[in-house]
Amino acid sequence: MIENIEGTHPIDSLLREGSIPFVWCPGCGIGTVVNTFVETLEKVKIDLGKVCVSSGIGCTGKVADYLKINCCNESHDNAIKCAVKFKLENPETKVVVFLNDADFIASGADDFIEAGKKGVELLVIYINNFIYIISECKVTPTTPFVRTLDDENLELPFNIPHLAKLCGARYVARWTTLHVRRLMYSITDALENPGLAVIEVISPCLMYYATDGKIGETIDRMRFFHNNTVIKHGEPTENLDIRLQDKIIMGRFVDK
Amino acid sequence: MKFFNNGMKTPCGEIHIVKDRCKGCGFCVTYCPMDVLELSDEFNTKGYHFPEVKNPENCINCGLCEMLCPDFAIWSTLKEEKEVIEVLT
Ligand code: SF4
Ligand code: SF4
Ligand code: SF4
Repeated sequence: MIENIEGTHPIDSLLREGSIPFVWCPGCGIGTVVNTFVETLEKVKIDLGKVCVSSGIGCTGKVADYLKINCCNESHDNAIKCAVKFKLENPETKVVVFLNDADFIASGADDFIEAGKKGVELLVIYINNFIYIISECKVTPTTPFVRTLDDENLELPFNIPHLAKLCGARYVARWTTLHVRRLMYSITDALENPGLAVIEVISPCLMYYATDGKIGETIDRMRFFHNNTVIKHGEPTENLDIRLQDKIIMGRFVDK
Repeated sequence: MKFFNNGMKTPCGEIHIVKDRCKGCGFCVTYCPMDVLELSDEFNTKGYHFPEVKNPENCINCGLCEMLCPDFAIWSTLKEEKEVIEVLT
């Protein structure tokens, strides 16, 4: 059955008017993550007045603009700082931060470490697209194994789950945009966790990173996830480097 | 061969597609476990091929297409529940 009516999707009520079409490229994982997050909110029947969303810059920064949920964005690249401030002022609210490479590990690393040290209750959903899109496709601290348009990466990528665990995160998981159902269960668990929770979602940028032939576009990227990932719950986080093993390890690594 | 009904019911879904929202990525078509969808030969107003329902009676309302879609263009609703008839050989 084909319909052509706007505003009839069951979760359109959680999107701001006029936000569709999204600015993201066809098949970009950010849309899938937002869809899963919104479905999870619907499913756990959380009070939406007690949820607040923050996001930073770049493609991922649009998330807070599109959701019809309270939002605590202040300005460019200090998403975690705003979220921590908001959480400390409103301890009843559940704060969810959508981050990308730039505002999580490049310019926001100090804020993140401080949030972990303070033990602030935050849910960080980190969408790892392996590249800086707006800054001329430069490599980021998490770019693994291949070259991008401008640069070749000679450094080891950051092991995000390990960093999160060392900073004191009480829930650490990693999924890809193919594993939406497991991501949903992870978000459900993390929403209940009373500490810092970090969920890394691997979603290589389709336009500037995944087109190098190794990962491929849209549906080939999903096949790459299918063939090159392995689920190991409880794996020690120091083994989770994306470069050192041939398969990307996913799962729930810390839950306490 | 024995047929019997153990009282379980299987859900039957109905698929809704907003074709002008679709960006033609094909995730729903590829990952539908029951092979319900196919990409149409037609274009929508943005110039993408949108999905069409090929086998409507197969849909089990699992909701995977709905969660995978990055553009909120497809969803399923429960139509009815059918009784399962298991076949033992
Ligand atoms: S540029 Fe990359 S990260 Fe940004 S929307 Fe397109 S595919 Fe997604
Ligand atoms: S609800 Fe499940 S079975 Fe039905 S079309 Fe979507 S993915 Fe296929
Ligand atoms: S997943 Fe969504 S955007 Fe992609 S082809 Fe299916 S309906 Fe279109």
